[in-house]
Amino acid sequence: MEPLHNKRHLTQSPLFHFLVLELICVLLMVSDKNQSIAQPLRNGLSYLAYPLIKTLEWPQQFFQSAQLALSRQNSLIQENTALKQQLIDAQLRVQQNTTLKAENQRLRTLLKAAQESPLSISMAFVTNLNMSEKKQHIIINQGSNAGVFVGQAVIGLEGVIGQVDIVSAHNAHVILITDTAHAIPVESLRTGIRTLAYGHQDAVILNEIPVSADVREGDVLVTSGFGNRFPRGLKVAQLTHLTMTENRMFQSATALPFVNFERLTEVFLVWPNNTPHNSDIAIATES
Amino acid sequence: MTKSTFRKQTTFFHFSFICALMMMLLPWGKVVILIQPYWLALVVAYWSLQGQANIMNWAFFYGLMLDVLMGSLLGKHGMSLVALSFLIAKSAKQLRITSFWQLMMMVLALLLNDLIIRAMIDWISYQYLPRAIDLLPIISAAFIWPWLKYGLDRYQLKIRNG
Repeated sequence: MEPLHNKRHLTQSPLFHFLVLELICVLLMVSDKNQSIAQPLRNGLSYLAYPLIKTLEWPQQFFQSAQLALSRQNSLIQENTALKQQLIDAQLRVQQNTTLKAENQRLRTLLKAAQESPLSISMAFVTNLNMSEKKQHIIINQGSNAGVFVGQAVIGLEGVIGQVDIVSAHNAHVILITDTAHAIPVESLRTGIRTLAYGHQDAVILNEIPVSADVREGDVLVTSGFGNRFPRGLKVAQLTHLTMTENRMFQSATALPFVNFERLTEVFLVWPNNTPHNSDIAIATES
Repeated sequence: MTKSTFRKQTTFFHFSFICALMMMLLPWGKVVILIQPYWLALVVAYWSLQGQANIMNWAFFYGLMLDVLMGSLLGKHGMSLVALSFLIAKSAKQLRITSFWQLMMMVLALLLNDLIIRAMIDWISYQYLPRAIDLLPIISAAFIWPWLKYGLDRYQLKIRNG
C-alpha cells in the first residue's frame, strides 16, 4: 500500500526521473551535431550492438555458403564462362586506356597542367539488414575501426553511390545521392557546364541550370570535383527530362543515376591521397 | 519471489528487448518494413504496464541502442520511449484493471504520441515532412499487441509458478 501522504523527496518522484532522462536526451541530440562528443558514445554503444548484428548476419552467411555448396556444377561452369567473357572485355578496354593515359599525360606535360593522381580505393560489403529509417541509407561493414570517416566518398562499379553519413565502430551508414538531404557538384561531360544535383526520390534533379546553357536529354553527368568531397570525373547520372522553371529564370532537369541502388553488394571507399589508409600503411612498411 | 525466479525474470526482461531489436533489424521486404510495428515501443509499453523496476532507464538505454543501430539522431528513440514508459507507468494501476479494449486504445494513443514526438524531432533536425504511410505501424500494432501481451503474460506466469 502506498501511504496517503506522499512524503518522498522530489528527486525520487517518477516525474523528476522522467524530466532528467528527457533532458539527457535533448543534450545528446544537441551534442550529436558535434562529432567529437557524440562519436565516442556511438562507438562504445556499437560494441554492445555488434553481437546482435553478427547474430542476424550469421544465418544469411550460412545460407549463402550452403547455396554455394549445393549449386550445380553446370551453373558454376556457365557463370565461369560469363565471367571469362567479362574479363576479356575489361582487359581489351584496359589496353585501350593505357594508350589514352599515356597520351593524356603527354598533353598535360605540354600544357604544364597538374597531373591527376590515381584513386586509392578499398572495398566494403553492403550489410543486408534493415538499419535505416526514412533516409535513403545503405549500411557497409566497415566503420571507424577501419578508418572510415564522415564525408568519405563511396562509389560503385557503375558510378557514384554517395558519401559516408554516420560512422560507428564496425559499420557506417552511407547516404545515397538520391536522398533529399544530399547534393553533389556535377558537370556535363559534353559541354563542361557545372551545377549541383540534388537527390529526389529515385533520381537526382538539377534546379540551377542557366537558361542559356547548352544541355540536352541524354547528357552524361560526372562529378566536378568541387568541394573536394568527390574526386573529379566519376559518372553520376544521365539526363532524362528537361523543363523550364516556373519563373523562367533557370532550366531544371531530372537525371537517372547509373547505379542500381536496389542490388548493391559491394561498394568502394575512396581515400584521399594525403591520408593513407590501412593497406597503404602496410605497403609503406613493407617497402 | 525467490532468487532464481528473480534472475529468470530479469533474463526474460532483457531477452524480450533484444528480440524486439532483432525484429526491427531483420531485412523484410520493402512493403513489410512499411507496415511493421514499432516492436521496441510495444515491449516497453508491456513492461511499463507490469510496473517493472527501472523501466524508464532501460527504455532510455534500449532507445539509444536503436539510435546507434539505425543511425538516427542520438537520443531520438530514447526520448520518445521514455515518454511512453512514463505515461504508462504513471497510470499502470488503473490501466491494469480496465477492459481489454480500453487498454488497447490507450496503448495505441500513446504509440501515436510516440510517433508524433519522433516526427517532430525529424522535422526539426532535417525538415522531414511526415506522410500518411507513417501511420501504418500503429494499425499493425493494434493486431500485434493482444498476442504480444498474451504471450508475454503466459511466459511470466510460467516463470512465477516455477
